[in-house]
Amino acid sequence: MSEPLDIVILGGGTAGWMAATALASLIPPTRCRVRLVESEEIGIVGVGEATFPEIRNFNHAIGIDEAEMMRATKAAFKLGIQFVDWGFKGSNYIHPFGVHGPVGMDHIFHHRWLRARSLGLKSELQDYSFAAQAARDCRFELPETRSTALDCAYTYAYHFDAGLYAVYLRGLAEQRGVVRTEGKVQDVVHDPETGNIRSLLLESGETISGDLFIDCSGFRSLLLGKALGVGWEDWSKWLPCDRAFAVPSERDELSPYTRSTAMEAGWRWRIPLQHRTGNGYVFSTSFIDEDEAAASLMRSLETRALAEPRMLKFQAGRRLVNWEKNCVAVGLAGGFLEPLESTSIYLIQVAIMQLVPLLPGKIVDPRLRDEFNRLIDLQYERIRDFLILHYKLNTRQDAEIWRYAAAMDVPESLTRKIELFRHSAIIERYRDGLFPPTSWLSVFIGQGLIPESYSPLADTMPGESLISHLDAFHADLLDRVEEMRRHDRFIDLYCGAERATAPTATEMRL
Amino acid sequence: MQQVKDVVVVGGGTAGWMAAAALAKVLGTQAHTITLVESEEIGTVGVGEATIPPIMQYNKLLGIDEDEFVRETNATFKLGIEFIDWRKRGSTYFHPFGVFGANIKGGVGFMNYWLRWVQSGGDPDYTHFIAEGVAAGEGRFARVPPSSDGQLPRLNYAYQFDAATYAAYLRRYAERRGAVRHEGKVVDVEQNSETGYIEAIKLADGRRVSGDFFIDCSGFRGLLIEGVFKAGFDDWSHWLPNNRAVAVPCERIEDPTPFTRSTAREAGWQWRIPLQHRTGNGYVFCDSYLSEDEASRLLLERLDGKPLADPKILRFTAGKRRLGWVKNCLAVGLSSGFLEPLESTSIHLIQIAIMKLFEFFPQRDVNPVLIDLYNREMDVLYDHVRDFIIAHYKVTDRDDTPYWRYCRSMTVPDSLAAKLELFSDRGETRWMPSDLFGETSWFAVLYGQGLIPRSYHPVANALSEDELELAVAGIRTAIRRRVDALPSHADFIEGCCAARPAATAA
Amino acid sequence: MTRRIQQVVVVGADAPAWMAAAALLRSVSGAGIRVRVVELPTLLQPVDAHSALPELAGFHHRIGLDEDLLFSLCKAVPVAGRRFSNWSGAAPPFIHGYDRAPPPAAGLGFTQLWIKGRQNGLRTDFENFSLASVAAKAGRVPAAPKDAELHAAFGYNLDAAAYSALLRQGTIRGGVDSKVGTIADVEIEGDRIVSVILDDGERVEADLFVDASGPRAALIGRMPGADVESWREWLPCDRMLVASAKALKPLPAFSQISAFRHGWIGLFPLQDRTAVVAVYDGRETSDEALLEDLPALAKMPIGGDAIVSDLSQGVRRRAWVGNCVAIGESAFSLEPLDGAQLHIVHYCISQLMTLFPVGAGAFPEAPLYDRIIRRLAVNLRDFQLAHYKLNRRFDMPFWDGCRDAPVPETLQRKLDVFTARGRVPLNDDETFQEQDWESLFIGHGLMPQSYDPRVDAIPEQEHIAQVQARLNDIVGLVEAMPPVDAFIAGADDQRQTEMTALG
Repeated sequence: MSEPLDIVILGGGTAGWMAATALASLIPPTRCRVRLVESEEIGIVGVGEATFPEIRNFNHAIGIDEAEMMRATKAAFKLGIQFVDWGFKGSNYIHPFGVHGPVGMDHIFHHRWLRARSLGLKSELQDYSFAAQAARDCRFELPETRSTALDCAYTYAYHFDAGLYAVYLRGLAEQRGVVRTEGKVQDVVHDPETGNIRSLLLESGETISGDLFIDCSGFRSLLLGKALGVGWEDWSKWLPCDRAFAVPSERDELSPYTRSTAMEAGWRWRIPLQHRTGNGYVFSTSFIDEDEAAASLMRSLETRALAEPRMLKFQAGRRLVNWEKNCVAVGLAGGFLEPLESTSIYLIQVAIMQLVPLLPGKIVDPRLRDEFNRLIDLQYERIRDFLILHYKLNTRQDAEIWRYAAAMDVPESLTRKIELFRHSAIIERYRDGLFPPTSWLSVFIGQGLIPESYSPLADTMPGESLISHLDAFHADLLDRVEEMRRHDRFIDLYCGAERATAPTATEMRL
Repeated sequence: MQQVKDVVVVGGGTAGWMAAAALAKVLGTQAHTITLVESEEIGTVGVGEATIPPIMQYNKLLGIDEDEFVRETNATFKLGIEFIDWRKRGSTYFHPFGVFGANIKGGVGFMNYWLRWVQSGGDPDYTHFIAEGVAAGEGRFARVPPSSDGQLPRLNYAYQFDAATYAAYLRRYAERRGAVRHEGKVVDVEQNSETGYIEAIKLADGRRVSGDFFIDCSGFRGLLIEGVFKAGFDDWSHWLPNNRAVAVPCERIEDPTPFTRSTAREAGWQWRIPLQHRTGNGYVFCDSYLSEDEASRLLLERLDGKPLADPKILRFTAGKRRLGWVKNCLAVGLSSGFLEPLESTSIHLIQIAIMKLFEFFPQRDVNPVLIDLYNREMDVLYDHVRDFIIAHYKVTDRDDTPYWRYCRSMTVPDSLAAKLELFSDRGETRWMPSDLFGETSWFAVLYGQGLIPRSYHPVANALSEDELELAVAGIRTAIRRRVDALPSHADFIEGCCAARPAATAA
Repeated sequence: MTRRIQQVVVVGADAPAWMAAAALLRSVSGAGIRVRVVELPTLLQPVDAHSALPELAGFHHRIGLDEDLLFSLCKAVPVAGRRFSNWSGAAPPFIHGYDRAPPPAAGLGFTQLWIKGRQNGLRTDFENFSLASVAAKAGRVPAAPKDAELHAAFGYNLDAAAYSALLRQGTIRGGVDSKVGTIADVEIEGDRIVSVILDDGERVEADLFVDASGPRAALIGRMPGADVESWREWLPCDRMLVASAKALKPLPAFSQISAFRHGWIGLFPLQDRTAVVAVYDGRETSDEALLEDLPALAKMPIGGDAIVSDLSQGVRRRAWVGNCVAIGESAFSLEPLDGAQLHIVHYCISQLMTLFPVGAGAFPEAPLYDRIIRRLAVNLRDFQLAHYKLNRRFDMPFWDGCRDAPVPETLQRKLDVFTARGRVPLNDDETFQEQDWESLFIGHGLMPQSYDPRVDAIPEQEHIAQVQARLNDIVGLVEAMPPVDAFIAGADDQRQTEMTALG
């Protein structure tokens, strides 16, 4: 390997700067040089403000100090997502970042709970999720990593200002050698023989050439979609939402979870940050018009709005492949799934962290490209199916969108999962991609799908013992939750904007 | 250019009659005269009783029927030589005729694969991989053509016979074809005053035998080659110290073994050559370490049957006439040199001299270029055989007597030293087409004497282990099957070439 | 709620039947479900041996089987891996060691560091960085005191009849009802087994039947839609010979698999003998010819008790039909090249427990079981097929054929990605993990053409230090491991001679 690979990232924002920072941090300059082209003119989407626990691995891999990052991005912690009115009006469940029941027993626990229910126990599945209970009680502590105690039965993610995250990363990236070029692309130059992208011609007249191009140009997908003509697979029949309004409001109670409330034509998000609350309405123009949706959002705000609502247009779906020739799409340029489960930044991260080990040389080895595409396919499909589940699994008659969703045909793989759970309370496990069984479980049960039966393996314990075990576990859990620090206090101590220095260990134990 | 018309062979015995019979066949007596002069008085040596396979070419040249020849000479068949106590007291190895193993695809000799196989745990007795060796060990023999699958060649063999009877047989052959025998002792030689060529020999009774070309088969004395032409003698006794042999025939007590046995002794070695009617024995030794009387006594003690005559002593010096051909005189047999019969080479050297004579057959005016070529080629042959014999002495673990201690530590010719070094490194001997003893022979003797190669030809490693095992097992099985199909040596002889009672007169 | 399962009947013999019965006993009998075994005639001969992967220890632990009994009663020999010879012609053999996931080096997979090292002149073979392979070569057993953590484990070779007897005894003691018999007929209605009629006339009924009858597939073979999809086009060997030779001294810490002209020969050390297995293409050589060549190929004399049988490799289209679940060889069958036979039984049983039907009326769990078992089968088939595909025995028709034939997409993908970048894409339900595939591929000479670029961020000094440290760690760990004979003797010391109840 003589000459380093020249990588050109088109587009900034979270996608572009995550890619830039990762490449510059993980791969030495002898192996690749990174250049990012962005235009201040082009707005950044910036609705991806809740994240998935995997983000911690990403930050760790590129050497980001958590507290520092949180301070810079006004971040708060996230233990899960609360779903309100999803499935049926009055539903209120948390999809936690943690298991239900004791660690190590998670494959059998819900069967035991179902049995206990059939014996008369009145409780919610949530009652046995440490993360869910802590979240509801607005508490937070960092989990232990090595033991089977309650304290490690969960993980966490962040709420943050994605714009500030991008800025934060930009600072790191430029420190680590990424060259930023301000400019808008006017034209894309191809190699006549191979069809590979050779260079970008900017409006300024500058030509930026490269070996590998990372398309972070957002929905427009200037390189992958436009220049290379990669087709689009539309998923809007399963995920009909095609707009979102976003509006910030004053800081509210700093709850350590995202709230998603099902609405008349979509759903509303609430994301609490240190300095403000992020709000939005994801909706489908098939079921509501834009003005009504904006009004609905503003009416529902719990604190005072800090700006006018901004609208974004999108379509659920993805590019047929995310890596074509010498161009890899990261972020919206590759596909879009609504942020119902905060997966946007996750998909960015996954693309980057699958690309890095498979980074090609100056000539793209199609075997590396095919493997990348296969892995990304899996990720998209699995998330898509999980999102569709939220829509499909509903008995609401009160709005057309819900009637539509309940009646729609869904992918065969999802139908099988729903039917199997309905019949036998079984959840399939798989290796790659999201979501773990505990997530599926929380949505199934939370949205009202109580299985008709449970595994006979749960019948081995006598009924009274079972119930008393569950009660004892629940009590222990509540006790432990009560010992936890309150989330807002934890934030203040750990990474509050006012803090000048990092907290000491003793402080953290208070 | 005048042709050679009259050829005179001076001396009988094996050398003389082999020469005369071959001349009678090849030149014929229509346009030539072939005269042999011998004296009954001068005894023939008669210890050269075992042979090596090339003798078949000689017999074939003469058109001799093998079965008839075997019957007439009380011969038995020989598959090789068994060497006992040569490496150390109690050791045995077999130097067989034939090839080692068979060709394994890959292009290097079988011994390399065998060495690799032994190094990975295989049986270190190579005899199992030479059909002649296996047959000899089990006392079996038959004439066997090459196997139909081409994997194994014909069974290679030679003969063990009574040399005096052989000489007599050849005399009958030669005389039937018009060779003339004169009884008499040579007392004088006439030379041309200008050229120095021998023109005639004079016998004791006054007869004069003239000729164009003279073959000196007069034995150690070299009446013509040395007596007249003073060719000179290269003495090799520092490498081959043995200078005596005591020989005695004994009763045959069991079926004849299809091989010669050579047993290393305290100051030399003892031969045992089984014939149809008796067994020939001898002790070749060096009188600096053992007296003639002691040697005779020891030999008689060690016979396995009753002696049939008194022991006869022969005295000799190992070495070679510096020039085997001078002017119009060619030395054949003992007159040209002597190497102890450890590897049964005496008759072969006679045969080669005769064959080369035909190759180089001169005009009356002998072209010196032919003489030069002949002498150089014979030198090479003699040196090669000499080296091979020396190797038996040099490569040994024996140090139990002063004789062996001498042999072990003596310096050897450079040519042999180089061969030993190469073999010691990778079991190879660089074979030249002029070499009498091929790879199999050198391997059998050097390995048998205890020189174990450190490695082998690297190409032998290119075969996968399982293919090696199968190839080795396959060859072993093929040889086993071949030998199983052979009758016993005695039965074979009985079946086709048992000597008639008349021929058994001693 | 539909009617619950009340009775499960296992139909079969030998290890699969008793493993299933023990697992059921442990997991469901406490729920009031009756477990019964219909014991068919054994398929085992005295020469038969099992070769088990380390994961079987987990099964033994769960059913309460003390592993010391394997050593005292089943002639077990612990093995740290398998050595493969002659698959690459005259190239040196390699060991597939039973490593668990090795620790990362400088935050990356060690293999990637090795690949770069190799490109820069590192001569040390990959095998020397495998804890299990080094242990195997040194004749040591990867066993550690309770508190220590070893990232290698040992499998074992077992006398098949003794193992079966051990499980049988323990399971019966544990309360499983069992009856010896043969099947006269199976009454089927649609996709349900109504009853299994035995030779003595008894009609055995159950809510769920487990077919543990091995290649006989006594039940599943009669079910609709469960016919076998043959893998003959990829796996040409169709004959198997099993024999014994005398025990090896000293006992090695690995089993030996040597390729030969028409297939392969396996030597599996046991305490009292060495089990010799030959798997070959019956179209290329006759049984007699093979038997004749066998002593040369095994490099040891073979006892006169050789048994030859047909080998058919393939997977059933459905492994669970209606109320009949097939486990082990009844579901799919592979030659014993990688020693996964007992693992397959174990995995099927585990999945059955996880997917244990909630009702006796319908079995929506079945299609998921089918998919899982098929994935398991395909992954194992691919691992085995890789040995053949990567062979370097040139100019031999059998082997040239194996090398030239295209392989299924699932394997081709693994080969492609590994060749390109030294990574192994894994699917769901893989028996063998990255380190196993790496050992297999690199052992057969497949060298990745490039490596993870993050390795370039490691400074040269640190790279060298990491490599050296890994070697040293392994040497140190192996030194502390017991030799095979000592390990067996130690197990004997603590032995129970009696099998207590299992389950």
